[in-house]
Amino acid sequence: MKKIDQKESAVVIIGSGAGGGTMAYELTKAGIPCVCLEAGPYLKPEDYTNDEWGAFGQMAWLDKRTTSGNWRVAKDFPGLPTWLVKAVGGTTTHWAGATPRFMEYEFKTKSTYGNIKGASLLDWPIGLEEMADYYTKAENAIGSTHRGGRAALPANNNYKVFANGAKNVGYKFYATGPYGTNAEPYDGRPASIQDGFNFQGDKNGSKWSTAKREIPRALETGLLDLRANSHVIKITHDKKGNVDGVLYMDNDKNLQKQAAKVVVVAGNSIESPRLLLLSESDMYPDGLANSSGQVGRNYMRHMTGSMYARFDKPVNMYRGETMAGFCADEVKHNPNRGFAGGYYMETLSIGPAFMGAFLEPGGWGREFTNMMDGYQNLAGMWLVGEDMPQSNNRITLSNTAKDQYGLPAPNVHFDEHPNDIAMREYAYEKAEALYNSVGAIQTWRTPPYPSTHNLGTNRMSAKAKDGVVDKWGRSHDIKNLFIADGSVMTTGAAANPTLTITALAIRTGEYLASELKKNNI
Amino acid sequence: MSVSRRTFLTGALATTVYMSLWSIDPAKAKINAGSKKEDKELLMKMVRTLYPHDRFPDGPYIRTTDDVINKGNSSPENAIMLQEGIDQLKSDNFSKLDMEESTKYLNKMGRTAFFEHVRGTTTVTLYNDKEVWELLGYEGYSSDQGGYVNRGFNDLDWLPEPRIEEHPDLAAFLSESPTKFAEIKKMIANELN
Repeated sequence: MKKIDQKESAVVIIGSGAGGGTMAYELTKAGIPCVCLEAGPYLKPEDYTNDEWGAFGQMAWLDKRTTSGNWRVAKDFPGLPTWLVKAVGGTTTHWAGATPRFMEYEFKTKSTYGNIKGASLLDWPIGLEEMADYYTKAENAIGSTHRGGRAALPANNNYKVFANGAKNVGYKFYATGPYGTNAEPYDGRPASIQDGFNFQGDKNGSKWSTAKREIPRALETGLLDLRANSHVIKITHDKKGNVDGVLYMDNDKNLQKQAAKVVVVAGNSIESPRLLLLSESDMYPDGLANSSGQVGRNYMRHMTGSMYARFDKPVNMYRGETMAGFCADEVKHNPNRGFAGGYYMETLSIGPAFMGAFLEPGGWGREFTNMMDGYQNLAGMWLVGEDMPQSNNRITLSNTAKDQYGLPAPNVHFDEHPNDIAMREYAYEKAEALYNSVGAIQTWRTPPYPSTHNLGTNRMSAKAKDGVVDKWGRSHDIKNLFIADGSVMTTGAAANPTLTITALAIRTGEYLASELKKNNI
Repeated sequence: MSVSRRTFLTGALATTVYMSLWSIDPAKAKINAGSKKEDKELLMKMVRTLYPHDRFPDGPYIRTTDDVINKGNSSPENAIMLQEGIDQLKSDNFSKLDMEESTKYLNKMGRTAFFEHVRGTTTVTLYNDKEVWELLGYEGYSSDQGGYVNRGFNDLDWLPEPRIEEHPDLAAFLSESPTKFAEIKKMIANELN
């Protein structure tokens, strides 16, 4: 592996997930040496385990965090606002795999939905037209099924219940994808063996992740200096205000410094704004790239909820791909339903270990155990839709809680918007109707899990006063500081975000490579 | 193991998931509270009342109760909480109550630290028990057996085989603007009227 001297001003990427891992590959592929600093360890498929709690303990981001706001996660899981991965590959290690694109109007929600009280909607500075080619590139990298001539995954048991119910209630737009796990061998990765474990890392290597594809390929170029267990705690700048290095803690909690000519922040929607805030200085008292005051604001986590249904016959939903079932009929904006935006329905399965903890946090008694007792006869789906950005839903630095290095922990504040609540209620009703149409004998409205989709907090905007980065992911304030993760999303759309994060990172990577080659940075 | 891992779920409806899983090495914990036979029996009755499964044998409940006791002895503070909780069960004659009465009793107890300790530990430990997985028909580890691709991932036969491909109109549906979509809806509604 390439060694880059710590005193050499390098292109430094912070994070190795969908954003950082993709940037590392795009830049090294273009001949640009990079340092990639990843807070977690380099886990390989042989390290992954088919065990829910075991894998959670192995790879979840468990650093100190606090929560506030009226969302139920703050009550059920006050110290665990998100469910993200701390490892090389970031959250692509445990992502489920759904890869829908944004729809055209979802880049223009302020124009489309109009003013919604309490929501800080804003149109993106880019649209589907600019993104279409990058979506295709990202789908080809991921190997999305149903796209680019790639085969559909077969119907597993959970999908059979889901699709029959969808058909019964009059839905048309259901299928087993698009999905980021191979139905047939593709790009050096084998076909799915339907082992049922995604959230634990895919031991079989059929699923795309940056730990599987982008990072190893970037290493193969000989231009990537990957440093795992390296947790960046501050970005430094020179007298002109340009960033010039990063400070990070190594595995032995020694403070290290890497000089930088460009810094790409890709630490997700909690850690990226936190790092910018932690990097405050005399010149930037409110944190880096924060002249707008928008760093950390407009935190989004998608409207989510799950529906589990019990039948009188076996389903065995845990066998097979976790989220290879998709229904788009409710995704279009249709204010007649009583809310703005829309949502997808996606199959979902968890094992008894997680079901016990997440079916109804705090729940007990016979009704609860009837669901658990019928585990074999359960089918499940996730409801995921656009939530309203709100200025005061934000990541701040805690005044009291500290992380393992003694630095202020992030507080995640989230109040649900009435639109989010109305959409969830509607979605639960529709999901119940779907399962009842195939004979459900008990249904359960499972509340949101700790957030897996974390968006906003460094939003992309046309005008510097409205956001943190421009349409290339470059910070409005500091020309050699870029952000490449879900935090740049101006609004969240209904789509699972990984495809869009990856497409945006390919685009930002190409732009940064060309700017570097032109000596513009 | 750091304390923070133990405190993820310590809100009002918290479970002590993390305590159950990694934070404490039971071998090192000093066992005091709840170690008497009658104490164990009381706790096991509480565990069963909270999460009743008629077809479960005693084994998983015994292991879960042991875990409730182990974790309840992780600190002097916890041990006091556990013993006080058990003593309360004793003085309220919990052992004499039938299923309906004991459920009512636990409902009235409210979300005390003791209640949350027993409930939270149980919800994780009981459903992470390998014998329980077997009883529930969950097969667990699978990649070492080649996944389920040849072991029933699609063996559900009580519903028709569904379409797996996307509907041919999907792309058009997704690319329609909402205004146009609304108009189409109106047209359909008019047509149906």
